[in-house]
Amino acid sequence: MMNKGIWISLVAFFWVSISSPSPLALSANQLVEDSFNYVRGKASVSTVMMTIHRPEWQREMTIRAWTRGQKESLFYIDAPPKDHGNGTLKKGREMWIYNPKVNRVIKVPPSMMSQSWMGSDFSNNDLSKSDSLLTDYTHSIIGTETHDGQNVYVIKSMPKPDAPVIWGMQKLKIREDLIWLSQEFFDEELQPVKVMTTLEIQMLGGRLFPKVWRMRKAEEKDKYTQLNYKSLMFKPGLPDSLFTLANLRKPRR
Amino acid sequence: MSIDVKMAWRNIWRNPRRTVLTICAIAFSSLLLVFMLSFQFGSYETMINTSVKIQTGHLQVQAEGYQDKKTIRLVVPNPAAVGEILERIPHIQAFTFRGQAFSLVSSKDRTYGALVTGIDPIREIQVSRLKKLIRKGSFLSESDNNQALVGKLLARNLRLELGDELTLLGQGRDGSIAATVVNVKGIYSSGIDEFDRSAIQIPLKLFQNVYTMDEAVHEVVIIGESLSDIAEIKRSIELKLSKLDPQMPLRILDWEQLMPGLRQGIEMDLVSGMIFYFLLILVVAFSILNTFLMAIFERTREFGVLMAIGTAPARLTKVLLIESVTMTMIGIFIGILMGCMITLYFQTIGIDISGASELLSQFGISGRMHPKLSVLSAVSGPLAVFIITFFAALYPALKVRRMRPVEAMRAV
Repeated sequence: MMNKGIWISLVAFFWVSISSPSPLALSANQLVEDSFNYVRGKASVSTVMMTIHRPEWQREMTIRAWTRGQKESLFYIDAPPKDHGNGTLKKGREMWIYNPKVNRVIKVPPSMMSQSWMGSDFSNNDLSKSDSLLTDYTHSIIGTETHDGQNVYVIKSMPKPDAPVIWGMQKLKIREDLIWLSQEFFDEELQPVKVMTTLEIQMLGGRLFPKVWRMRKAEEKDKYTQLNYKSLMFKPGLPDSLFTLANLRKPRR
Repeated sequence: MSIDVKMAWRNIWRNPRRTVLTICAIAFSSLLLVFMLSFQFGSYETMINTSVKIQTGHLQVQAEGYQDKKTIRLVVPNPAAVGEILERIPHIQAFTFRGQAFSLVSSKDRTYGALVTGIDPIREIQVSRLKKLIRKGSFLSESDNNQALVGKLLARNLRLELGDELTLLGQGRDGSIAATVVNVKGIYSSGIDEFDRSAIQIPLKLFQNVYTMDEAVHEVVIIGESLSDIAEIKRSIELKLSKLDPQMPLRILDWEQLMPGLRQGIEMDLVSGMIFYFLLILVVAFSILNTFLMAIFERTREFGVLMAIGTAPARLTKVLLIESVTMTMIGIFIGILMGCMITLYFQTIGIDISGASELLSQFGISGRMHPKLSVLSAVSGPLAVFIITFFAALYPALKVRRMRPVEAMRAV
């Protein structure tokens, strides 16, 4: 009888510990969301140099970007002069492209969302679905590392069932002060596809921020796209009128 | 005529009805084989030529690696030099230059991804059937600057009519953003859904301008005078290309490399056809076997008598084989003759297959199909019939050797 009682309480204990959300999983979700908000801020204005590097050629673009919250962004190409004025507006899962030469706004169709953005290693999806990491994935901490004397959490993010995502898994490395160190993308067979790493963490826009973000294809060392923040400002808010199609058409200086 | 042949001939006509039926079976199967094989070969040639003349051409000169990964940077930088080479090679009917870039195409309220192809309006007519496929509007002319041809399905998806504006947005060769607005000048329907859904043609000059190609193109498309010349043309171009600028290595590809799916489709169809023919021949073989076994049972007594008066069994076998070969030959001769006549008839007027057009449009066949009679298609099927019936007749013919005269004479 005694034995049986112990068994029941043991089983009950395990049952409870399995069914209630483990504190570790909760903090993983929290960690990802916090670091995501840390990177995006409430709103931001930035100038970024985008370098598309290929073994035989390289191309540089200067992009101005406005972001607000987790969902809204606006990008403008400043240089080279030939591409000056091309804009991209993203709201949630939807995305529009504006070209000044033909003076047209084009909505990017769902079938084109996995194509690359302006020939870079970032896909349209990477830009427009950036908050999908928060909404479509469940996160768990699978380990910790130490980089430069700081704890780094290794987080495995698996897509929720039925989530409209193309990745089979993502692996994040987030420093304990919420700074994003890397994001690795895996396909459905869990083979690595591409990896984004951040470099040169320094004070930018009033907070510690990685100056360089580099997206590299998993199997090719010499093919990558790099974002280099020239300036970054975090703001408490930006006007609604900024993230509209009408504004996308407006010529920029 | 030797006595054996005379005997065999008389034996054949001893039971005329059975003989005629057997000959008919052989003739009909030969006829069927001649026609079916010709039809199959004809449909392959139609398939190859239609696919080739709308999309790839018989041969293409491309930059090394372009076929595997169609990036805009892999170009033929000096198409004029390649053209000069092609001018001097015999059996080339025509060639043209094309540039290709995957782009966003957008009408007033819809956007799709499509393959934008820059074509030379004058040269393209010689190479592809595109002009004949225009259903609405007209083909591009030399003076057109910002006009485009659109596939029927893409036009429907984009809700486009003639004269509507279409925005193209893609990436140029130098990585810059390529954008232009064109007007729909013609809408075509090739019957190949995949093509009609995803292709747009604009003048090559505009293409080179918008996509910052300078003088470069992506494909030099070549049509040979006939399908059988292709291998030879390919060899001579290959030889000359190797002497050209080694900076940008160029490759020559034939239609089998350009459309591996087509080749596989043909091979698969041929195999399933072979299985059908084999079954057909097998049925004929059994009917022949039956006829000869019957003949032997019927004539057991006669064979006994012949052997009793000193006929060697080998001679009986020989007579029986002459009978079977003669019958087969008559049947095959009639079969080939009639098969050729029927095939030639349909070869000239064509077979209306519009009922099956839904299915066949995937292969680029539309409307009428023409069988193609050749020595191969006329002879190979009947030859197989001959060989198999010969072996079928061999068994009863050899059975005679095991007969004993006394027992045989007592048989009913």
